Amino acid sequence: MKKLIDPKSFTLGLWKENPIFYLMLGLCPTLAVSSSLKDAIGMGVAFIFVLTGSNITISIIRRMVPSHIRIPVFIVVIATFVTIADYSVAAYLPKLHRNLGVYLPLMVVNCIILGRAEAFASKNNIINSALDGLGTGLGFTLAIIAIATLRELPGQGTLLGIKIFGDGYKPFLIMIMPPGAFFVIGFLIALKNSIGDRKKC
Amino acid sequence: MKKKDIITGLIVIFLVTVLSGYLLAQVYKITRPRIDEQKKQEEQRLYKEIFPEGIEFVEEKEYVSVYDSNKNLLGRIYNVVQPGYGGPIVIKAGFDIEGRVKGVRILEQSETPGLGAKITEKAFLDQFAGKSGNQLYLKKHNKEGTIDAITGATISSKAVSDAIIKIQEKLKSEGTIDTTAGETQKEKEKQK
Repeated sequence: MKKLIDPKSFTLGLWKENPIFYLMLGLCPTLAVSSSLKDAIGMGVAFIFVLTGSNITISIIRRMVPSHIRIPVFIVVIATFVTIADYSVAAYLPKLHRNLGVYLPLMVVNCIILGRAEAFASKNNIINSALDGLGTGLGFTLAIIAIATLRELPGQGTLLGIKIFGDGYKPFLIMIMPPGAFFVIGFLIALKNSIGDRKKC
Repeated sequence: MKKKDIITGLIVIFLVTVLSGYLLAQVYKITRPRIDEQKKQEEQRLYKEIFPEGIEFVEEKEYVSVYDSNKNLLGRIYNVVQPGYGGPIVIKAGFDIEGRVKGVRILEQSETPGLGAKITEKAFLDQFAGKSGNQLYLKKHNKEGTIDAITGATISSKAVSDAIIKIQEKLKSEGTIDTTAGETQKEKEKQK
């Protein structure tokens, strides 16, 4: 049995079992939204909110939900949090809402969130589930920020929309197109594996 | 599966959906006025961006009439919805009384972030200003076209250009705003 408060719940998703670089889940929004750093940060924050919220809720109701209907119940819980995030971003950050477009509501079917609900929150207590949500969410956010930095900088010559390389720079456009996302993710996974425990990967 | 399992399952899923439905209704109630207000503000800001000299924007059935401080008609702003690459693109396009494009702005779009979504950037939209006729086509689709498409996003770029051409055609067929002035202007340019 896990301890009441296990710091590992937080750190595992942050680095070792990072959702993008280790579990390799949720790559679709990662590919799509990581072409600019601003969007990536916005997406990451919305993601942390939804994942932590759904993890906590699912952990609270985990003993009341019969296992044969757990998936539809999880989806309803996740969809609720995604919709709250969607409305709030539309009301208070309309510009970000416009940039993220369809990828914000699409978080409903994000497999990291459903994956954490099924693999973690439905089996662990509330505190650990919250920690897991924060850790995994932060892991996702840091990963997408790293990818976006390495794409926006060469691909547009900017960071957060601010010109870094000056006017003479000719953007390396493939980096902000889908192939660029695959290159960057591939290199970052290789980098992570060479730092971490290679045998287990 | 036992009958009892089905019934408890039904009850649980019913409760969960009712609860989340209630919660969402509350969130909706709080955020909706703000979302509407943001939209309205955004619209007014857009009108002003399209027609900086416009003082009064009067909504009419199909368009918004723009007047200056002396109540002189300056032009119209049209709203068009055009299918893009990732969904409908909502475009606001202003035309002066001579039928030339005054300014173009994108209100809503769900194009690919970082590519097609760049149709919202000024560098692309400002290309339309002051142009009319075939100049409004993309360079690659018409010899007289003067609009550069966004790299890697021809479909989104073409959608915007198509939408503006569509309104221009409509303006011409209605003839309510004198569009011939723009045409003669173009012919003069040709003669040069």
